[in-house]
Order: sequence, then C-alpha cells, then structure tokens
Amino acid sequence: MVASTADTVASAHAPPKPHAGLEWTLALPLTAFFAVFFVTPLLLLVVVSLFADSEMTRFGLDQYAKFFGDAFNWKVLGSTLFLGVKVTALTLLFGYPLAWLYTRSGPRMQSALILVVILPLLTSVVVRTFAWVVILGRDGIVNNLLLTLGLAETPLRLLYTENGLVAALVQVQMPLMVLPLITTLTRLDPNLLDASSALGAGPWRTFFKVTLPLSLPGIVAGCLLTYAASVTAFITQSLVGGGQLLFMPQYIYQQTITLHNWPFAAAISMVFMVSVLGVVMLLNLLGRASKGYIHA
Amino acid sequence: MTLNRRHILAASLTLGAMNLFPGLSWAQARKLVFATFTGSWEEAHREVIVPHFRKANGNADIVLDPMLSVDMIAKVAAAKNSPPIDVMLMDPGPRLTLIDQGLTAPFPTDASKNYRDLLPVAQLPEGPGIFFQAVGITYNPEKVKTPPTSWDDLWKPEYKGRVGITNMNSTLGTAFMVELAKIRGGGEDNIDPAFAALKELQPNLGAVAPNPGALATLFQQGQIDISPGNFNAIQILRARGVPVEFAKPKTGTIAFLTTAHIAKNTPNAPLAAALIESAMAPEVQTKLMQAPFFVIPTNGKVKMEGDIAKMIAKDQEDLKASFVFHDWSIINKNRAAWIERFNKEIKV
Repeated sequence: MVASTADTVASAHAPPKPHAGLEWTLALPLTAFFAVFFVTPLLLLVVVSLFADSEMTRFGLDQYAKFFGDAFNWKVLGSTLFLGVKVTALTLLFGYPLAWLYTRSGPRMQSALILVVILPLLTSVVVRTFAWVVILGRDGIVNNLLLTLGLAETPLRLLYTENGLVAALVQVQMPLMVLPLITTLTRLDPNLLDASSALGAGPWRTFFKVTLPLSLPGIVAGCLLTYAASVTAFITQSLVGGGQLLFMPQYIYQQTITLHNWPFAAAISMVFMVSVLGVVMLLNLLGRASKGYIHA
Repeated sequence: MTLNRRHILAASLTLGAMNLFPGLSWAQARKLVFATFTGSWEEAHREVIVPHFRKANGNADIVLDPMLSVDMIAKVAAAKNSPPIDVMLMDPGPRLTLIDQGLTAPFPTDASKNYRDLLPVAQLPEGPGIFFQAVGITYNPEKVKTPPTSWDDLWKPEYKGRVGITNMNSTLGTAFMVELAKIRGGGEDNIDPAFAALKELQPNLGAVAPNPGALATLFQQGQIDISPGNFNAIQILRARGVPVEFAKPKTGTIAFLTTAHIAKNTPNAPLAAALIESAMAPEVQTKLMQAPFFVIPTNGKVKMEGDIAKMIAKDQEDLKASFVFHDWSIINKNRAAWIERFNKEIKV
C-alpha cells in the first residue's frame, strides 16, 4: 500500500529528472543510521545467542536446543503469537466499521472522528494502559457497573487475566488499524458502489464483493501494524497481564535483566523475531495477492 | 587560511558533535551520575543526600538517574571501561552479581569518617550499606479488621481472592518465597515447602503483580487487601491517603541491606566516595528517617524515632532482634531454577 501511494505521488508530480539515477543517495543518511544503530546490534544479538553457556565462553547451539527442547517455551511462544491473532482480529472487527463510518460522514464529523482515533496516540502508552488497570480492577468501572446492575454477585476477576489484556490491547492498538483502513476506504471510488447496486447487488453483496476486496490492502497494512505492535507490547502485557501471564517480551526481560542469562535471552529474542517475521511475511503475501486481485 | 564552504562545514560539524557528546572535550569533568532507585527513593535522595553532598564538595555537579539495581548492572556491564554511572545502589542479590562480575571498586574505608559508625552488618568494604529495606505484611485496615501478626494469616479463608504477591523477578518476591520456605521447614537451599505453600494459597490469590510497585498500587484499585509488602513502597500510598498499613510478622521482618557502590573505572572515583560518605552521615540518615521518607538507617548513631520506631524497631538492638536476613549467595545460585519453576507452576 505504501509503495502504491508513492507511485501515485511520483507519477502525478514527476518533473523532468535532471540527475536521473542519483536519487538513491538521499537515502544514504538513513541507511547509515540503520546500519549503525539497528543492523549492528542485531548482528551482535545473533552472536550472543550462539554462545553455549551463560558465561559466554564457548560457542554452540545449546541455547536454541534448550529453547526448543522444553514444551513450556513452545507454549509461551504459541500463546504470544495467538495473543496477537486475537487482538488483531478484534481490532479489525471494531476498527473497520469505524473507518467505514468515517468515509460516510460529513467533514465536521470526520474531523471529530479522526481526533477520537488519533487522541490515544498523543498520550503515552503507560497512561493509556494504567487507565485500563483502573477500569478492570476489582473496584473498577466494569465491576461496579456489573454489581449495580445486578449482573454479577461478586466482583469478577478481570485485571491480570488474558481477556482483560486482550481488551486493553485492542483499545491501545486501535489507531494502528483504523488509520490505514481510513486511507484505503477514502480512496475507494464511490461510483463502483453505485455501479454494483445499479447492477442489482444488495448492500451486503456490494460490501463483500466490492468494498471488502478493494480495502484488502488497508486491512493487511492495519493487521501487520497491529499484530507486530501487540505481540511486542511489553508495557501493556506486564501492567494488565500481571506477573503470572508470561509472554515472550517479559520472558526476554526476565532472562536478560533478572537472571543475566544473555545468550538464552538472545536466543529467545531471535526465535521470537523470526516467528513474528514469519507471520508478517504471511500477511504481506496476502497483501500482494490482494493487489493482483484489484488490478485484475 | 582561506575560509571556504568546506572549512565552515567541518567546523560547525565539530561544534555540533562537541555539543552532542560533551565527553569528547571534557572527558574527566563529567557530572557525577548517581543511579538511585525509582519513585520515593529518588525523591528522598534528591532532597536529602544531594544537598548534603554538594555543600560538602564545593557544589559539585551531580545528576540522579533512577532505575532498578539489575538495570544498573546491565548498563555498567555493557560499558565496563567507561561506565555511564558512578555510584550504584544494590539489593543483596544483584550486589553479589556486581561483585562477581568485577564491576565495582572498593569503598576507601580507612579514609572514611562515618563508615565505622555503621552497624556491623552494614560495614561491607565492597560498598557499605546505606539503608535497610523491610518486608512485612501490608494490608488495608478498612477491610482487614484485625491487624495480621503472622505470615500464616495470608492463608485464612476469609481472604479468598484478596491476597496479592509478586513473581520472583523482584527481590521482594524472591525474599517472600525464601521466608515462606523457612517457616515451613525449608530454607535458601530447599524451596520446595514454599512452592507447596503457594499452591495452598492459590484460592486466596487475587493477583500476581509484575513488580513491587504494581503490587502496592493494587491496594489503591481495591484489587487486593493483604500482601507481603515493602515498608517504603506503601509510604507514598499512605501519604496520599490510601488505607494501607504495615504489620511486623511474629517470625520477624524480612530485611535486606541496600549497599552503595563505586563503579569500577569511573572517572569520578573521589566524588563517588564522597557521595557515599554523605549517604552514611548520621545527620543525613536522621533526616531520611523522618516523614515523608521513612528510610531505615544503618548508622548506629541515629536515634530511631517516629513511625520507624513504632513500626520497625525502637532502637538498634530491637532492629537486630527483629530483622531476618537471608543468604543471597545461596539464593543467587538457585534463583534461575526457581524463576523457571515459578513461570511453570504458578497460575492464578
């Protein structure tokens, strides 16, 4: 989606090119920055993960063997990846109607909606997360409401549960889903929808046959961002998830900071990174497939 | 020399770099960096230790950088030859790691005025103890009508779903488990009784907090009413009017000594020692002991007063009698295995 936007912009404003072929030098400063501050540490991480013992005296694949040899570690990895799936699915479910509403609203309503969507991004994630601690607590808003309405007899345990965490993450990551969706949906030609209904399709059929497929690039971009952000959301995972729900980010923190077992921490970081990359690549493939679908 | 575009560019880049990295030009004269603890600790150290230190050392420049002990070790270990921190505070577990990894320089005890006045347990040449932390039972007096007197009270059926603990990542969580093992017939080298006891506690567990700070705030949310807790962690809440009190268990208050260390290879070694000297001074520790800080003194010359005298120990003798210390050299050896076991076994 990003690439196609760039193409559109480039083709619309492309003046004659005086120094054709040299534009790439503009990217050099950022490339150098990434090489020094991202690629180098990443390579270091790979090297550290290849030490066989926690004192870092000899090389070997022991850390990886240790990780994959214990079913518990598989469970932590699995539950982290699945947490991302749940959060992404729910964010899409709630975010899509919101983005759609935005495209159907007048300019004033649109400004209001975009403010609502962006506002959370302007507050720190710690503040947003702490609000959820207050909402989900035993004396929190949800429990007080349930008790007052007589829907529950004793306060429910919501804080430090996986469902509470999913709810908090869905809200915290919502802008990452809604913004790409809004971008795609506003670029959708309304004539197509009119054409669809003129040809006899009902609103649902139009949605599933026209709107949804055409918005796939936005969906993929939104899912990608939401997924990557929610599986790695260290702060929200620990503050709302508590001390006994273990996900990969806390696991890495625990091994690095509390136990000083850097090689194992580096190894599980690599495993986590590769797994998330796998999911991201899958989504990307989907995105590419959808592009073919649109241009066809 | 003719001035051209390149010269000006080079000069301005140099100036910019010197501005960004002042260490380039004044390698020896950087500010003293004191890594303290977060929250009320930072506040206390900024208001009491820092002014005393600056007055005694010709207004030397100092910055406080609050973080956890384990984070200090990570930072110093990552830059052994030019540590970004000059003075570090250590809990007993991390302290041993710091010493084992050779990341600290010994404190010059012979030249020190206050060192010999410290309680014997705090006289550690690798880095003297500048305050104690105490772990007892914290509870909400509005919900828990009879003040608890023993760790066993946490298992009372009336606290179903109301007990909070932290996981073993923190010193608090680990110390609680060791104490649990001790009162159930185990100890630092036999943690099994603690895990068995925790299994029995599960119906009562309302929350396993990710860290002691989060645990303390759970009182505010009404999520829990009783928990093992750090005496100092609840003082902020008390000052803000949250109903939370501290009770001494009859088997003793779990105590750990917080030690101050000079980072090895620091360019500021004399000033670092001077800061620790200030932190040991009786007038500093007396002031820190009073409201609103309530920091437990290690200097034998400090007379216990106020809430510390009432809730912790009325004098140094009482302190010796009621404090329980654990052997962190054994704990550190076992801790990785315990944390792994906690990860796997404790599910609320």
